Amino acid sequence: MSLLTVENISKQYAGHVALDDISISTKKGEIFGLLGPNGAGKTSLIRIINQITGPDSGRVLLEGKQITRADISKIGYLPEERGLYKKMKVKEQVLYFAQLKGLDKTTAKRKIDEWFEKFEITSWYDKKVEELSKGMAQKIQFIITVLHDPELLILDEPFSGFDPINAQLIRNEIMELKAKGTSILLSTHNMNSVEEICDSIALINKSKLVLNGELKSVKEQFKSNTYAVQFKGNMFSFGNALFAGFSLEKSEQIDENRAIAHVKLLKDHNLNDLLKTVMPAVEIEGINEVLPTMNDIFIQAVQGKEGGENE
Amino acid sequence: MSKVGLIIKREYFSRVRKKSFIVVTVLVPLLIAFLAFLAMWFSLQNNKQFKVLVVDPSNLCEEKLFVGNISDPPAEFYFYTGDLLTEDFKTQPQFEEYDIMVGIGPNVISNKKIGAFYREKPSLTTEKYIRNRLELRLEEYFALDKGLSLSEYREIRQEFDFSMLSLDSGQADTSAAQVVGLGFSIFIFMFIMIYSGQVMRGVIEEKTSRVVEILVSSIKPSQLMMGKIIGVGLVGLTQFLIWIGLIAITLVMLRLFVFADVFDPSNWAQLNQMQNAGALSGEMAQVPKSSELIMLIYNGIPWLSLLFLFICYFIGGYVLYGSLFAMIGSAVDSETDTQQVMMPVMLPLFFSYIISISIISNPGGPAAIWFSQIPLSSPIIMLQRVASNTVTLGEVILSLSLLVLACAFAIWAAAKIYRVGILMYGKKASWKEIIKWMKF
Repeated sequence: MSLLTVENISKQYAGHVALDDISISTKKGEIFGLLGPNGAGKTSLIRIINQITGPDSGRVLLEGKQITRADISKIGYLPEERGLYKKMKVKEQVLYFAQLKGLDKTTAKRKIDEWFEKFEITSWYDKKVEELSKGMAQKIQFIITVLHDPELLILDEPFSGFDPINAQLIRNEIMELKAKGTSILLSTHNMNSVEEICDSIALINKSKLVLNGELKSVKEQFKSNTYAVQFKGNMFSFGNALFAGFSLEKSEQIDENRAIAHVKLLKDHNLNDLLKTVMPAVEIEGINEVLPTMNDIFIQAVQGKEGGENE
Repeated sequence: MSKVGLIIKREYFSRVRKKSFIVVTVLVPLLIAFLAFLAMWFSLQNNKQFKVLVVDPSNLCEEKLFVGNISDPPAEFYFYTGDLLTEDFKTQPQFEEYDIMVGIGPNVISNKKIGAFYREKPSLTTEKYIRNRLELRLEEYFALDKGLSLSEYREIRQEFDFSMLSLDSGQADTSAAQVVGLGFSIFIFMFIMIYSGQVMRGVIEEKTSRVVEILVSSIKPSQLMMGKIIGVGLVGLTQFLIWIGLIAITLVMLRLFVFADVFDPSNWAQLNQMQNAGALSGEMAQVPKSSELIMLIYNGIPWLSLLFLFICYFIGGYVLYGSLFAMIGSAVDSETDTQQVMMPVMLPLFFSYIISISIISNPGGPAAIWFSQIPLSSPIIMLQRVASNTVTLGEVILSLSLLVLACAFAIWAAAKIYRVGILMYGKKASWKEIIKWMKF
C-alpha cells in the first residue's frame, strides 16, 4: 500500500519551472531514493511534500488522503541545509522541536532519554550546540527528525557531514526504522548508499521525472546484456574465439593465467552461444551478468537526456 | 501549548534569561539614579561662596545690599568706595581674598553699564544671583531718585502669577509636561528601535544558521513570525514594566524622604508669606518654582492614562515596525546586508523622532495633529500631545484604530514576504524582488 503519493505536481518560480508534472509514490516500509543533479528540483518537491510551499498544480496524498497541516506530525524532515540554535542547550532544544512536532512534554522527555541513551550521548544534555562538533550536531538533528515516530521520513543528504563510523550508525538506524514500517524518502548524491539501501528510486532532471520505479527494474532497464566471464587460460585465445556476435568490453588479469572479461552480447545471441564459443578456448570458472551501477545509470540518464535535448 | 505559544515562550525566555537583559534592566534605572545623584552631589559641591567686591566710588549702594533670608547664598558682597583699577585688583595682595570685582561707575544711571571681572569663573546661577542682587539695589536707588518710596517700589516689583490654562481640562499647559511627553516619545522610539532590531536579528540568525529549515517543517512561517514578534515584544514590555516599577518606587521614596518639605502644607504657608511680603523675587523665586516642578511630576502629569497609552502605542508601533523588520531580516543573508534594505523603514522612524522634537513648542499645531494620526509616526508623536493635554479622546481613538489597521496590513505583507525570504539563500534581495515575492 502506498503511503505517500505525489500526483502531477508542477511548480513555477518567477519565470523558471522548478517541477514539471512530477508523479511518484512510496510504499509503506520502503526506502525511496529521490535522485537528481543539483538544481533539478528535489528540494522544491520535498518542500511541497512538507507543505512549506504549495504546488501550482497537482496534489500530495498521504495514505490516500489529501495532505493537511495536521499531517505534519506524521512526517519527519531532515533538511539538507540544517542548523540548530547555537546558544541553546541540547536537551532544551530537542524538547522544543519535539513539542513543535506535537509531542507532549513528558512523552518527549522520555523519548529524548531513549534516543540519547541509545546513541550514548546523554552527557551532551547541558552542552550548548556551539560546543558540539559538526558531526555531533548532525546526530542531534537526526534525533530531532525521528523523535516523534513519523510514518514518513524525509532525509535530504542525511550522510553528509558524518564520518564513516557515524554514517554507518545512521544507516543502521534508517534500516531499523524501515523494519518498523517507516517509509523513507531519501534524497542523496551518494550513489553507493542508494545502491545499498534504496528499494525504489525516482530521478529528476531539469524539473522533469526521468526515471521511476523499483531499483531492480530500473537496473534491468539499463542493463546492456553484458556478462563477466572468469576463466583460466590465455586472454589472447579468449579474445580470438569471440566473433562478430560478441564484443569484448574490458578485461582484467587476475593472476598469471586467470582473467575476467566483460563481454557484451550483440544481436540475438544469448549466454549459451557465448559459452559454446569460448569453452573450447579457455576453462570457465564463473560467469555472472554485469548490472549497471546506480552511478552509471545516473550519469547515463542525465547525460542521455541532455543529449536528447541538444538534437 | 499551541505551536505559536511554544515559539513565544522560547523567544521570551531565551532573551529574559540572558545576563545582558538582567543587567540592562536592573542597571539602567540604577545608573540613571546614580547619575542624578552625582549631578546633585556635584552641584552641592560646587556651592563655593564667591566674595564679591563692589567697587562703588560714588557710594550709590550706600554699602548696603538686600540678600534676603537664605542660609547659603552663592555670593557675599563687600564694598569699596574708593577708585580701584582692575590691574590693582589683580595684583595687590590686599584684594587677593576677593574672587570678583564689580565696578559701579557714577554714570551707571544714564549708561546702564556695569562691568565685572573674575579670577575664577562663577557658575551661571552665581552670576545671575550677583547680577540680580545688584540690579535690585540699583533699581531701588533709581526709584528713590524718581521719588518713589521703597515700599512702593517693592510693590511694583512683585511678580504676577501668570498661568496658561487649557479651556478643556482647566489644567496648566506647562512646558514641563511637554518635556515629559517628549521623554515618552524618545522612550517609545528607543523601544521600537531596540526590539524591532532584535526581531530582525532573530530572523537573520534563524535563517543563516538554517534552523528555519527545521522549524518550517513543523510550523507555518506566518506563525513563526508572529511568535517571534510577540515573544520579543513581551520582553520589551517586561523591561518597561520593571523600569516603571523601579521609577515609581524611586519617586515615592523621594516624596517620602527628600521632598517631604514640599508636600508639607505648613511650608507652603511660609513660602506664600515670603512671596506676599515681596521678600522673594527674581532668582529667589527659584524655590517655589522647583516645588512647582515636583508638584507637576506628582500631580500634574496624567501618568495613568499616559502609561496605558504608552503600552497601547508601544504595542502598535512595535508590531508595525517589528513586522517590517522581520520582513527585512527574512530578505537578507547576513546582518551586514541589511543597511540599504533598511533605509525605507528607518526613514519614517527617524523622521517621526525629529518631528517629535520640533513640535515640542507647538503640540497642538497642524504637524502634531497630522503626524499623531499617521500610523508610522503616531506611536511616537501622540504621547507627546497626550502629555500636554492638547488632544481629545476621539483623536486618540482614531489614531489607535488607524494604527491597528496599519499593523494588520504590515503583518499580512510581511508574512507573505517572510515565507519566501527565509528559504531564499545566497541572494541579496532588492526591494523590487521583495515585492515580487508577495505574488509567490
